[in-house]
Amino acid sequence: MTYIENIFVCIAAPLLLSTIYIGKKYRSFIIFTLAGMGACLLSAYINTFFASLYKADFINATTQIAPVVEEVMKLLPLLFYLLVFEPRSEKIRMAVVILATGFATFENIVYLIENGAAQLSFILIRGLGTGAMHIVCGGIVGIGLVYVWQHSWLKIAGTFGLLCSAITFHACYNLLIAHGGFTQYIAFALPLLTIIIGVVVSRLYKSKYQPLPS
Amino acid sequence: MIELIDNISQLLAVLLAFIASGSLFYKSRLQSYLLISCFYGTFMLGSLYWTLHYFLFDYTPQLFYVSELAWIASYTFLLTLEYSLSTVEERKFFHPGLWLVPIFCIPQLIIYFSIGDILFNILLGSLTMSVAWFSLRGLFYARRQTGKSRDRQIFHIAVLVIIVLEYSLWTSSCFWVSNDLTNPYFWIDFMLTASMLALLPAMKKAVTS
Repeated sequence: MTYIENIFVCIAAPLLLSTIYIGKKYRSFIIFTLAGMGACLLSAYINTFFASLYKADFINATTQIAPVVEEVMKLLPLLFYLLVFEPRSEKIRMAVVILATGFATFENIVYLIENGAAQLSFILIRGLGTGAMHIVCGGIVGIGLVYVWQHSWLKIAGTFGLLCSAITFHACYNLLIAHGGFTQYIAFALPLLTIIIGVVVSRLYKSKYQPLPS
Repeated sequence: MIELIDNISQLLAVLLAFIASGSLFYKSRLQSYLLISCFYGTFMLGSLYWTLHYFLFDYTPQLFYVSELAWIASYTFLLTLEYSLSTVEERKFFHPGLWLVPIFCIPQLIIYFSIGDILFNILLGSLTMSVAWFSLRGLFYARRQTGKSRDRQIFHIAVLVIIVLEYSLWTSSCFWVSNDLTNPYFWIDFMLTASMLALLPAMKKAVTS
């Protein structure tokens, strides 16, 4: 049995203490990291609840329940930030990335405690893949929200569509991981490739619609 | 095997349409192209998950509605597209023929309630019924117009065909016959794939009108 709430307390305590000494500029970074980790902790509880409710086995819980729960839980702190603080678009992007990184970091810590840290090469690939997957899902929601919330005709459909896209992407990743074998490596490569494609497409888009000043 | 071919062909067709509509949005920056590319994108993600699940585990997802969530999102985008393309006058327009939508959809929904999850079927059923209602209203309205405005009827017909085929597909899945081509499910799904592809040129014509 893994006492993840104890692990969370141990990681959160020094981070929380550090907020007393570091400047206001960096405080938000710590708070979003903790929010991401907290979302991961609560997701674990809710996943367990739904898995027992539906009497799901490991594969069904990983591929059908976890993506829905985790993406919804990741969206909640972001929605709170958006609705209460009404931040500028560049701050939203940063918040989403830090939140997703916090989530992925805590997930990796729990994975290491459960499965051990003997195989560095596999852990490195897994860590990169999982981190990239959470950042991609966060990016889909975060960058998308910046755009859709500027258009009233797109707010409801857009937010729901973005959440569903993130859930489905996450579910595809988990599906490939749960199958095991060679498909695991496809799963690890998938979010990294998506980040590369996303960066290339956004640069192309910016170069076309934001001409350099003469 | 035929189910896998059916799923992969639909996935590829929707992916192709997503890339084409995305590049149209990139060139024109028109709201309608963004919405249709979102429709194709979310539909494609749902199909990808469904196909991957079937390919890797030899059975379709049974427990929770991951693909269906993506498909609900795709129909939400289609509904937004139908709404954004309609004029203020069109939104006030009513034709008695619109009652054909609930007459066609509700009896089939009752079948789905008896087999599947009620909440999910209410959600997807009401969403697709709204899309059908908007498209049929648009069709009646466009047929009363003259000139280029009449061109929009092709788009509304394409949307209606998708909804009719989607309902036929769900109903045929309730009465599963076999896993080969004698099952009408596969034929309907192939037609749905073709109608998905036909939606983009129909939409292009509606935008230029």
